[in-house]
Amino acid sequence: MATSSSSNLAKEEQKLALKLLIPAFLILVIIALYPLGQVFYTSFTNREFASATETEFVGLDNYQALLSITIRELPPVIDEETGEQAVDEESGEVVFERPIRVLPRDPHLYRPSFEFSFFGNKYVVGARTPDFIRAVWNTLVFTFFSVFFETLFGLVVALVVNSEFKGRGAMRAVMLVPWAVITVVSARMWEWMFEPTRAGLFNMLGDRFGLIDGSYSFLSNASLQLPAIIAVDVWKTTPFMALLILAGLQMIPNELYEAARVDGASKIRQFFNITLPLLKPSLAVALIFRTLDALRVFDVFQVMLSQKRYSMASFNYFQLISARQMGMASAIGVIIFIIIFAFAILYMKSLGVDTE
Amino acid sequence: MTRKQKEKLRKVLFYFVLALIVIYLLFPFYWAIASSLKSEAQLNMTPATLIPRDPDTGEISIFTRNYRAVFANGGFIRGLVNSTIVATSTTILALLTGSFAAFALGKLRFKGKAPALYVILAMTMFPQVTVLSGLYAVINALNLSARVSMIFTYLLFTLPFTTWVLTSFFRDLPIEIMQSAQVDGATPFQTFHMILLPLTAPALVTTGLLSFIQAWNEYLFALTFTSIDPSARTVPVAIQFFSGEFARQEPFGEIMAAAVLVTVPIVVLVLIFQKRIVAGLTAGAVKG
Repeated sequence: MATSSSSNLAKEEQKLALKLLIPAFLILVIIALYPLGQVFYTSFTNREFASATETEFVGLDNYQALLSITIRELPPVIDEETGEQAVDEESGEVVFERPIRVLPRDPHLYRPSFEFSFFGNKYVVGARTPDFIRAVWNTLVFTFFSVFFETLFGLVVALVVNSEFKGRGAMRAVMLVPWAVITVVSARMWEWMFEPTRAGLFNMLGDRFGLIDGSYSFLSNASLQLPAIIAVDVWKTTPFMALLILAGLQMIPNELYEAARVDGASKIRQFFNITLPLLKPSLAVALIFRTLDALRVFDVFQVMLSQKRYSMASFNYFQLISARQMGMASAIGVIIFIIIFAFAILYMKSLGVDTE
Repeated sequence: MTRKQKEKLRKVLFYFVLALIVIYLLFPFYWAIASSLKSEAQLNMTPATLIPRDPDTGEISIFTRNYRAVFANGGFIRGLVNSTIVATSTTILALLTGSFAAFALGKLRFKGKAPALYVILAMTMFPQVTVLSGLYAVINALNLSARVSMIFTYLLFTLPFTTWVLTSFFRDLPIEIMQSAQVDGATPFQTFHMILLPLTAPALVTTGLLSFIQAWNEYLFALTFTSIDPSARTVPVAIQFFSGEFARQEPFGEIMAAAVLVTVPIVVLVLIFQKRIVAGLTAGAVKG
C-alpha cells in the first residue's frame, strides 16, 4: 500500500511539473520555434534580403564559404645576388613571400586571414571569408577577457557590498549604474572618452600626466581596439555579475559563519571553505549567462568599431543589412549557435552544474 | 600591532577599496553628466575639462539647453512611457512564467528535466540579428502591435535568464521546508506560492531588476519592430533618432543629457527595491 501511495505522489508531482512548464514552453514555441526553424532552413539557400531574385537551394555552400580555411607555408624570398634569404633594409627582418601568391585561387579565391610564425617558418591562414574567421577569433578573445574580469570585479564588489557599513543601501544602487546606462548610449559615451584628440578623456588624462602625447587613436589602432572594447564591456557588465553574486551571498545562512567564528576559522578560510563552495551554483549560472551574452556581443562592436573590426554578431548584421546576403547571414547564425552550444555544454560539465 | 590598530587598519583598507569601486563605477557616468552640461564649443575644447568651463575665460559655465531640448522633444517623453510599459510587462511575464517553470525544474521530480533546461537555454544561443527576420514574420502573421511584439520578443532573453537563475535558487532551498509543509497538508502548489516564493524574494527581485534593465536597454528589436509605428519607439531608439537642433549633425550633448535622464529612474527603482534584497532570509526558516 505504501508503495502505491508514494508512486501516486510521484505521479502527482510529475503532472504538476508539466503544468507549471506549459506557459514557458508555449511562449518558447511562439517566439523561438518558427524563427529558429526559418534560420536553419534559410542557411541552406542563397536568399537575399529585400530582393526580387529567385531563392535557390544551395545545400552546404554557405557553410563551405564561411568555414573553408587553408594553412600555407610562406616561402622565404631569396636574394638573387647573395643566394640567401632577403632582409628588409628598414626593419632588419627577413622577408617572406606575399600571402596572395601562395594562397589558392581556383576554384575559390582564398584571402589571407592572419599570419603566424612557428619554428622560424612563417605560415598564413587563408580563408574564403577571412573577415568571419577573424570575427570568430575577436569574439573568443573578447569573451575570455571580459568574462574573466567581470567575474573577478563582480566578486570583489559583491563581497564589499555584502559587508556591514553605513550607506550600504545607496551603494547597492550605485553598483548598478553602469548596467542601467543604455548600451548603445554607453558605447557612444565611451567612444567620446576614447576620442583621438585631447577632447577625449583618456588622451587628456594621459597628456596631463605625461604618459602619452595626447593623440592616441584607441579605436583605429588595431592593437588597442579589443582592449578598449573589453574595458567598456567590463565596466558595463560588472554590475550584472556583482548583483547575481550578491544574491547568492545572501542566501548563505549566517549560522555557518557564526559556527566558523566559534571554531576560530580565519576570514580567509571562511571565504574558501564556506563562501566559495556555497556560491558555486549561483556563480555557475551567472557565468553561463555572461559567457553566452559575451559570445553574442553586438551593440558595443557595432557602435564603436562598426566595420573596422567585427564580432560574430556584428559580422552577421553586416551580411544581412549591408550585404543583404540572408542565406549567408543565417548560416553565420547557425555557426554561432553551434559554437555557443558547445561552450554551454563544456561549461556545465566543467562547472558541475547539475541539471537533474 | 595591537588588536585595535589592526581593526583600524582593516577599516581604512575597506573604505579605500570601497572608494576605488565607487570611482570606477561612477566616473564614466559623471563624465556623461559633465558632457551633457557642455555646449558644442565646450565639448570640443582641448584639453577636455572635468567641469564645464567657458572656452575663453576658463570660468565654470553650465549649459542647460541640452536638457531643455530633450524635454521639448516629444519623442523622448513618449519613449519613456513606451519603455516603462514594455520593460515592466516583459519583466512581470518573465518572472511569472519563469518562477513556475523554475519551481518545477528546481524542486519537483519528473522525467526530462535536463532536456527541458537545455531547450530553454538554447533560446539565448542565437544572436538577436539572426532571428530578427523570422520574428518579424511571426509578428506579421499574428498581427501584433509594435508594443506587444516587443513585450513578447524580449522574453526570448529574459525568460531563459529568470528560469535558470530561479531554478538554481529553488534548488538551494532546504527540502525540509517543503516536507514540513507537506506534512501540514499543503499541496505542492500551496507550498510553492505561500512558502517557497516568499523565501526566494531576494532572487526574484534580483532577476527582476536585471531583466527589467536588459529590456529597458534593448535596441535592435525595438528599432526593427517600431519601424512601422514610430509612436511606439522606446527610449534607446528615440535617442538614436535625435536630430541636431544645434550646430553638429549629431547632437552629442543632447544624447548625453537623455542618457542621464533615462538612467535616473532606474537608479530610483533600484533604491526602492534594494531593501528587498535583504540578508539572511532563509536563516531561521529551518530550525532544528
